[in-house]
Amino acid sequence: MTPEKDPISGRETTGHEWNGIKELNTPIPKAFRLWLWISIAVAALYWVFYPSFPYGADYLHGALGYSSREAVQVAVAEGAATRAEAFDIFETKDVNELAEMPELQAQFEGEIAVLYRDNCAACHGRDAKGQKGFPDLTDAHWLWSGSPEEIEYTLQVGINSAHEDTRIAEMPAIGRDEWLEQAEISDVIDYVLSLSGQEHDAEAAARGIDLFAENCASCHNGEGVGGYENGAPDLTDSAWLYGGTRADLRETLQHGRAGVMPAWSDRLSAAEIRKLTLYLLWQGQGDGNS
Amino acid sequence: MDHAKLERNGIAFALAILGVASIGGIIEIAPLFTIENTIEEAPGMRPYTPLELAGHNIYVREGCYACHSQMVRTLRSDVDRYGHFSLAAESMYDHPHQWGSKRTGPDLARVGQKYSDDWHVAHLAAPRAVVQGSVMPGYPFLSETRLDTRYFSEALTAQVRVGVPYTEEQIANAAKHAAWQADPEAEYEDDLIDAYGDKVQIRDFDGNPNMVSEMDALVAYLQVLGTLVDFDALNPEEIAR
Ligand code: HEC
Ligand code: HEC
Ligand code: HEC
Repeated sequence: MTPEKDPISGRETTGHEWNGIKELNTPIPKAFRLWLWISIAVAALYWVFYPSFPYGADYLHGALGYSSREAVQVAVAEGAATRAEAFDIFETKDVNELAEMPELQAQFEGEIAVLYRDNCAACHGRDAKGQKGFPDLTDAHWLWSGSPEEIEYTLQVGINSAHEDTRIAEMPAIGRDEWLEQAEISDVIDYVLSLSGQEHDAEAAARGIDLFAENCASCHNGEGVGGYENGAPDLTDSAWLYGGTRADLRETLQHGRAGVMPAWSDRLSAAEIRKLTLYLLWQGQGDGNS
Repeated sequence: MDHAKLERNGIAFALAILGVASIGGIIEIAPLFTIENTIEEAPGMRPYTPLELAGHNIYVREGCYACHSQMVRTLRSDVDRYGHFSLAAESMYDHPHQWGSKRTGPDLARVGQKYSDDWHVAHLAAPRAVVQGSVMPGYPFLSETRLDTRYFSEALTAQVRVGVPYTEEQIANAAKHAAWQADPEAEYEDDLIDAYGDKVQIRDFDGNPNMVSEMDALVAYLQVLGTLVDFDALNPEEIAR
């Protein structure tokens, strides 16, 4: 059966007819077909040169032996080497030496700020001024002292973290665990309010003195100034971690507190931890000894 | 072109269609037959505990994947920011996987233990209360919703059907295991470690000891992401592909 030719275009028809309408059998345009064949050829080349298809216990590795996993490991190592060179000083000097070099701030602060924002800002805030439950890192009030080494160590092991050498800071649940009666807790709260010079009931505060000495001083120190050995905060200043109002204090004493600062030694390199330590020192305090 | 012949022979035409369509099919399906050697051997990888699995299901239910990927790609920028690139093995127990295709927020493949439970609870309840300018929606109801553990054994059985190796004992005790993991006072630590290995995290994740909530489950899930594989023990040849 020879297909019929259309007299006007000279092309064959498909041979079908619907209500007197016939259809031309026109092939798709040349350019289109060419493009299709080029794509097929490129795909075939990919099969030859790049890893393509699995079989049995292995896969076609491709003539170039390319592996995206190896490529990224090389790229990351190169990046780290470049950084090690650019930040050479953080690799070779310890934090105490670095802290004596204020000129580093102008040179590196911008880069380190990125590291800070990726890892620390969620808790301590973009400006490092903290928020309820997460300490301000720019003021002179430290839980574990503001000396460069101690800050570095805090970053490495964390506080109440999953790290095996973590610093531990636990404020007991005085109310829930019934260390003290509710009335006694009220008295201690008035005493704590008096320590920081806030409005308080002087009689109740006087009753609280002994209770504080017996129950709190072992950690918070006789005068309530806290201690760097156990991370107990100074109660005489206005830098509150969990708030200093009567209601906040009641909450703290009733349920206890144990803020968690994650450990970073597994996530960040030693040099990165040094950079962040310096970054914190630059954020406005630097009084390592108080 | 001569399709007249094919068009007039129905059976031949059907066979031709079948032949062409199966080329595509084979190319897609054949790799699955070699999946055993596609997935790396990753020391430390284990199925989710029932509590974590519930968290995974809440993650899917709430559509967190619409804004978060769980896939550290083999790109330098990804590895520098999030850590080791993701392995196939790390999502082998995810049904469905949560690789995602969009990052409105950061990748979560390695978020486990980056933040504290308290932070997650505060952040999930009201993201803008802790992260200035965040566009993440809040999920405060999770803390108030008791975790429904009635069908946990069935949930584990469903996972077994798609290839997750839960044991009979794990299936039978699923609801109990979930409650124990969120209650450090329960003192069943040894049982949980027996069942799921020593990396199981036993804590009151949401800070409310009176109830095992959906927040407990979601935070337990977030805290385990990316923490299971022991990368130091990984055979470098195993992952070089
Ligand atoms: C999950 C939230 C969280 C993240 C993320 C976090 N921190 Fe902390 N950080 C805390 C908490 C909570 C404390 C206080 C712990 C306590 O209550 O004893 C703290 C304490 C600290 C301290 C000790 C302060 C003092 O007074 O001694 C330093 C220093 C510190 N963080 C720095 C950092 C740096 C740098 C980063 C980023 C690498 C970071 N933190 C990330 C929550 C966090
Ligand atoms: C075992 C040691 C210990 C004892 C005893 C102790 N505390 Fe604490 N306290 C801490 C620690 C550690 C913190 C910090 C918790 C944290 O960082 O999450 C703290 C935090 C606090 C805070 C919160 C401070 C802030 O900045 O928000 C107050 C208030 C407080 N304690 C008062 C008391 C009182 C009053 C007593 C006695 C009834 C007491 N503590 C007994 C260790 C102790
Ligand atoms: C509308 C998009 C959106 C949705 C939906 C969403 N998130 Fe987010 N998420 C974000 C953004 C943006 C950020 C970064 C800002 C911030 O930390 O809040 C973020 C941050 C986070 C972080 C912190 C990551 C890090 O490394 O800092 C976690 C954890 C998280 N989201 C978990 C979840 C979970 C769990 C869900 C589902 C219940 C969810 N998100 C749903 C947008 C979203």
